[in-house]
Amino acid sequence: MQESAYFDKYSPINGVWDEMYGLDANVRDHYRKVIEYISGESADDLNKKEELAKRLFMSQGITFTVYNSGEGIEKIFPFDIIPRIITAAEWTFVEKGIKQRLTALNLFLKDVYNNQFIVKDGIVPIDIIYSCPHFLREMYQLQVPFDIYVHISGIDLIRDHDGTFYVLEDNLRTPSGVSYMLENREITKRLFPDLLPQCGVRSVTEYPTILYKNLLALSPRQIHNPTIVLLTPGIYNSAYFEHTTLARLMGVELVEGRDLVVKDHKVYMKTTTGLQQVDVIYRRVDDEYLDPLMFNPTSMLGVAGIMGAYRKGNVAIVNAVGTGVADDKAVYVYVPDMIRYYLNEEPILKNVPTYQLGNPDERAQVFSDINKMVIKKTNGSGGYGMLMGHAASEQEIEDYKLEVLKEPRNFIAQPTISLSAAPCYMQGELRPRRVDLRPYALFGPNGIEIVPGGLTRVALKEGSLVVNSSQGGGSKDTWVLA
Amino acid sequence: MLSRVAASFYWLSRYIERSDGMLRMLKINYNSSQDTMKEFTWEPVIRIFAGSDEDETGKLENNSRAVLKHMVVGKSNSNSILNIITLARENARGVQEHIPKDLWQCLNEYYHTVKEPRLEKALQREDPIGVLDVLIKQVMLYYGTAEISMERGEGRSFMNIGKYLERAIQSVDILDTKFGSINDNPDLLTDTSYWKHLLLSLGGYELYLKTYREGFEASNILEQVVFNTDFPRSVIYSVNNIQRYFERLKTESNLEDFREMSFQIGRLQSHIKYSSVKNIEEEGLSLFLAQTRKELYGIGNSLNEHYFANS
Repeated sequence: MQESAYFDKYSPINGVWDEMYGLDANVRDHYRKVIEYISGESADDLNKKEELAKRLFMSQGITFTVYNSGEGIEKIFPFDIIPRIITAAEWTFVEKGIKQRLTALNLFLKDVYNNQFIVKDGIVPIDIIYSCPHFLREMYQLQVPFDIYVHISGIDLIRDHDGTFYVLEDNLRTPSGVSYMLENREITKRLFPDLLPQCGVRSVTEYPTILYKNLLALSPRQIHNPTIVLLTPGIYNSAYFEHTTLARLMGVELVEGRDLVVKDHKVYMKTTTGLQQVDVIYRRVDDEYLDPLMFNPTSMLGVAGIMGAYRKGNVAIVNAVGTGVADDKAVYVYVPDMIRYYLNEEPILKNVPTYQLGNPDERAQVFSDINKMVIKKTNGSGGYGMLMGHAASEQEIEDYKLEVLKEPRNFIAQPTISLSAAPCYMQGELRPRRVDLRPYALFGPNGIEIVPGGLTRVALKEGSLVVNSSQGGGSKDTWVLA
Repeated sequence: MLSRVAASFYWLSRYIERSDGMLRMLKINYNSSQDTMKEFTWEPVIRIFAGSDEDETGKLENNSRAVLKHMVVGKSNSNSILNIITLARENARGVQEHIPKDLWQCLNEYYHTVKEPRLEKALQREDPIGVLDVLIKQVMLYYGTAEISMERGEGRSFMNIGKYLERAIQSVDILDTKFGSINDNPDLLTDTSYWKHLLLSLGGYELYLKTYREGFEASNILEQVVFNTDFPRSVIYSVNNIQRYFERLKTESNLEDFREMSFQIGRLQSHIKYSSVKNIEEEGLSLFLAQTRKELYGIGNSLNEHYFANS
């Protein structure tokens, strides 16, 4: 391969899987074309590309809001111009693994809200389920169309030092970020003209089409043009941009709770020409806020009576209500057992070893080894409220321990997984930064489809292992090669 | 169309139109303040656009730079350009998937221009007319983009109703304030620069010169600003357009609501159409304006009730 100043200066992190830098100190084959391409560009050119990317995001209003100290600040989601590349073989493996896992999780949800065989057979302990705040009795024996609960999922994958994929968490409620998968690709087309077809990168543009097709199939009324809406908490939500993007790409109405009313167990939207019945709701409002009559009574984001309409089968809700019980971090431990129990198969994707702090023995072990552990809340998300043992101060650790002891069931611990690194363009050179991968799986009546790609999140701070956008993370375009 | 979406279109458009009127008014008044030997008072402008908080007005009225700051970037002034453009953008955000991407980007840029910290500094230290021109250009860009990219549907009708309603209210308010000042100070009646500035701030100066050869006469000005159907900022022009865009909302499913409002708009239209300067002068200008304003507000309230589901 040709001389590359960018590559020669690159120094991979010791003991970490590098997506680009092979074990033989050479560029991995699937990164070669990209490295060749950028070698032809001066640092000046690349800086300009970076600038262009920022400008495109800003002028299109592709921003998110970070809530800190009570004030919402609008920011661009930082974007790194170097794509993250996944080989066809890696993808096939990941795709198979996610399909298997999701099938089992969906069966689990059906089971847990109906006969609970898995509890009766002693696979998952009952107290783990009943103590989960996202287990909703309101869903008991509520029949959902096609027995599908998790229509949209974003399962987070990471890679250990030897490149093995692990599932970090299953996001089965209202996973976000898919608009960045789509926008990042649009931006890459502008930054690196002609490179995508040369490398044989698979397209991600089908996502909204597939999602729309699945939503359409769920309509309880058998009519030719059912009303499908996307329910957003409103313009102050951090993912509002995503909601508008998806509504626009699918051509469905974007509604807020106050646009909907329930009458005779049917959901209607208020229009300038009167009430119009709604058939399918892709909601981006959490369970807790969905129906003030059933859940949080102070919620202004939901629709009073919507659960009644749902139970009657007059409206389809996507994702189903109550899926949070399956992505609870204490339940996560049992997912491999679920796969064996429901599918009689060995799990393809591995779980990260996980300790339940509700169990005194495991808790003692975690506390004695706390420097090598990451402790998380079982129902937390967004990287809030976790403790990174290797980076925390004595005081932080002591405070956190006290927090854990108040309600140990609500915490789990995992050994610090190193996370693989991918090259990022920073100040004129390539530097390794840690990444994860969130592919988006769509579960419809005809099975599970996963758009080849996903969101690669990257921890932009040197040495950091936290990729969440709320904690200084950014994203990359994710290429799956044909 | 969702009621909320219709309401957002309407308000988005009202805020933009208001910012346009304000910016022009500020520009002309600043210009005028450089022309006068006496102390220049901003009191009428503040009264028209920022409500009548007596204390606030008293503090500001003779200090051009302070007025500009208060009116353009004033955070505490709910009607400052900064605040109304923020609201316009919020409304647009709520209907982002209903407006063309170009239009959203245009508005987004307007917002970022107003928010830019440099703008406030420039307003205090540099030539304010240059700064106001930058903002006026943003509005024009918005109107141009809306004209060529907006789908000719229900959304645009609500936008235009909002735009012309706001414009009509502004013209009425400006007439009321300007003619009202004459009662306190009859000398103004023969002050050519007073009338010239009124016309300039409404963008009607050139049309006036072409129409009337006998110099500035209060009655001629009244005629142009109320009755001239070719003058885009006259009251009748705006009301005709409200009627025109409202007619497009007619559908089978809400005939009753439609008829009621159509009647209301028609009544106002006729009231103006079948008046004359002579009538108004007999009847009393302020009474005429008060009545017109009440009718215009009434149209806004009816929209709220019949179309925006806010009853």
